[in-house]
Amino acid sequence: MNLITPHTYEIRDRIAVITLNGPPGNFLKDPEFIPVDALKTLLIKEEVKGVVVTGAGKHFSGGASLEDLFAQANDAALLEEKMNSGKRLLEFIDVLEIPVIAAIKGICFGGGLEISLACDMRFCNSGALFAFPESNHNMMPGLAGSYRLSHRIGFPDSLKMILGGDMVNAEEALLMKLVDRIVHDSDPAEAAICFLTRITEGRSIPVINSILRAIRNAYVLTQEEALMEETRMFCELVAAESRRRQREEL
Amino acid sequence: MSETSGYKTLLFEVNDGVGHLILNQPPSNRMSLEFFSELAAFTSNLQVMKDIRALVISGKGRHFSSGADLEELTVFLSPSYEEGEGRDETVKNFMNRNIETFRSLWECRVPVIAAIRGVCLGSASELAMFCHFRFCGDDALFGLPESTFGLMPGIGGVSRMVSLAGPAMALELALKGNTFGATDAIKYCLADRIIPKREVVSFALQFASSLPGNYRKEKSPLYLQRTVSHA
Repeated sequence: MNLITPHTYEIRDRIAVITLNGPPGNFLKDPEFIPVDALKTLLIKEEVKGVVVTGAGKHFSGGASLEDLFAQANDAALLEEKMNSGKRLLEFIDVLEIPVIAAIKGICFGGGLEISLACDMRFCNSGALFAFPESNHNMMPGLAGSYRLSHRIGFPDSLKMILGGDMVNAEEALLMKLVDRIVHDSDPAEAAICFLTRITEGRSIPVINSILRAIRNAYVLTQEEALMEETRMFCELVAAESRRRQREEL
Repeated sequence: MSETSGYKTLLFEVNDGVGHLILNQPPSNRMSLEFFSELAAFTSNLQVMKDIRALVISGKGRHFSSGADLEELTVFLSPSYEEGEGRDETVKNFMNRNIETFRSLWECRVPVIAAIRGVCLGSASELAMFCHFRFCGDDALFGLPESTFGLMPGIGGVSRMVSLAGPAMALELALKGNTFGATDAIKYCLADRIIPKREVVSFALQFASSLPGNYRKEKSPLYLQRTVSHA
C-alpha cells in the first residue's frame, strides 16, 4: 500500500513494515519521507505493536540525492522548512513508544543513516555499509545525525564518521554499537519482523508503551525522576491488571 | 558480631569489617511485603554503620531470590483504586520507599556486592542491578519477567538495565521477559564474574575483604562512591 509519498507500508500481524522505495539507491526526495500525521493515524488504527523500516531492493538508502538538494538550495526558507519537517518525523519515530527497528541491507548513507539512527535498534546484513559522506561535499548531516550518532556510539567514533566521512562496514558497526545485530542467514527485515513479533507477543500496548517510556526516561530524566515515573507507570499497570482480573471473574 | 534481632526475613552479620546481608526466607527467599519493610529499615541503618568497609548480599540456600510475590503485590496494591485517593498515596509511597531502599544500595558509601546463586528474578534482579558488583554462580538464572504478567519492572529495573546493558538489550529483555543464564548475563554486562556455584559467596566475601578500607588515607570509601556514581 502507498502512503502519499512513493514509499510503501504493509502490516504483518500488527508489525508495520515501512519500505523506502526508489531502488536501487532509495534516495530521499523529501526528508519527511512519510507525513507524520499519516504515520500516526496508521499506527493507531492498526494497533501496531512494532515497526520495521527497510529499503526496497539491495540497499537501505543513500540519503538525499545531491541534485535534489542543490535544486532546493535557492529557496533557503523552503529548504529549512523541509528539513524541520524531516526532523519532526524522525523525532516522532525516536520517541514513539513501540519498538522500531531499522533493517539495513547494503548502503546506508547520510539521510538514510539518520533515519536508522532515530530507530530503537538496527539490524543489518553482512554487506551493509554506513557513512556520513556530507563532509566530503563541504556539508554536514542535517537531520540530527550528529546528535543521534554521538548519543549512540560516543564522541570519538562520531568524529571519525562525521568529520572524517569514514565508511564503516557491518563488523565495525557491530563493534561500535552502531548496529545491534548482523543477520547472516536471512533478510534483515524478515529477522526484524520475527524478532518484534517474538518480543511483543502477548504484551498489551500499555505494557509496551510503559517499558519504552521507561527506557527513554533513563536518558532524558534524572535518575530520581526516571525511577519515580517507573513507579507511577507500574502502579497504573497493576490497577489495569487488577480491573481486568475482576472483569474476568464476573 | 551478629545482629539478627528484629528481622524475620533478613540475617546480618559483620566479620572483619565486611557486612553480610542474607535474604532469609529459603528456599525461594521471595520478597514479601515484610521483606521490603525490613530491607528499608536495614538500609536506613546502613547509612550510619561505621564499622563496615564493604557489604555482600546473598540468599540463604541455593537461590538468591525469586523476587517479589506478584500475587501478594497485586492484591495489596489493587484495593486502593476502589477506595479512592487516600489509599492511592499509600500505594505510591510503598513503591517509592522501595525505590529509595534500592537506590541507597547504589549510593552506599561502601562497595555493595551481590553474590548470586540460583534464581534471581524480577525484583531480585532489580536489587542486584543496584549493587556495585554482581558475582554469580554458573547456575544463576536472571530475568525481568514482569511483562509476562501484564506489568513492568517496578523498582527501577528498566533504568538500571539501560545503564548496564544499553537500551537495545533493555528493550528486548524487559519486553520479552525471558530468563537468561550466567554466560548471557556476562555478555549483557549484567554480571561481572562467573564463579563455581558453591564458591560464589565465599569469593564475594573474600573480594570484599580485599578491598582497601581507605582507598587513600584521606579519601575513604566515599571516593569509590563518588567515582562510581558519576559513571
